[in-house]
Amino acid sequence: MGNTMFEIRQDDAGQVTMAGRLDATQCDAALKFLNEIAVLRIIDLARLEYIASAGLRVILLAQKRCKAAGGSVRLINVTPAIHDIFHYAGFDQILDITRAAS
Amino acid sequence: MCGPRRRPCEDAGVNERHTAVPGDAAHLPALLTFLQDFWSELNLPATEALPFELALEEVFMNVVMHGSHTDRAPLVKVSMTLVGGGVTLTVEDDGPPFDPLSLPAPDVTASLEARRVGGLGVFLVRKVMDSVRYERRDATNLLQMTKNITEVGPAPK
Repeated sequence: MGNTMFEIRQDDAGQVTMAGRLDATQCDAALKFLNEIAVLRIIDLARLEYIASAGLRVILLAQKRCKAAGGSVRLINVTPAIHDIFHYAGFDQILDITRAAS
Repeated sequence: MCGPRRRPCEDAGVNERHTAVPGDAAHLPALLTFLQDFWSELNLPATEALPFELALEEVFMNVVMHGSHTDRAPLVKVSMTLVGGGVTLTVEDDGPPFDPLSLPAPDVTASLEARRVGGLGVFLVRKVMDSVRYERRDATNLLQMTKNITEVGPAPK
């Protein structure tokens, strides 16, 4: 918990990392960041601490855009708490989600 | 009322916090800080906070959205109470009558192409909370959400 900021970045290999809290105040920035990536493949969520529906919307829009371009997004290292939210929303049906190793 | 696993009973009101902010998205961080302060002051387990943070964000952002059609932003009052082994989050606003529980559930089995990008918020709140209750009281919308938390305070010896 704590007032961790949200951070999104892309490493040299093209992998995207989201960390901290993706709340409604961070979603526009996150969506803009993802939309500027031509070929989005993997988002590492190991350090994502919080997500709500506004954040789910960002991920859904990213996946829709990738699928339209013939690709797909993989979410990796998803922690149990975040995985619960994805599961409730039925995102495990429409996205390739890999849990964090326990 | 004090549960068996709680610290010794404290005076009534000690386990309760209130705040109020205008129904404007800019105040969301302040509300989440309020929740986190409540959590740490009462020494609640950090791992149990997420459902409440989610519920507070979803409900507040709904009030913001529905209040944006009116002349002035509604006033949003938030209270948190620890009773026994559970926490109750109450969100009250003086905006136009709106029962979020009346919204139809989104289709969480739809294909990617058919997925709508909105409508998940209240659905998730119902999933993560044990109970959610709406009431139109006087000129306010009152939404009360409760969830038990598995471990409150240190376990008894």
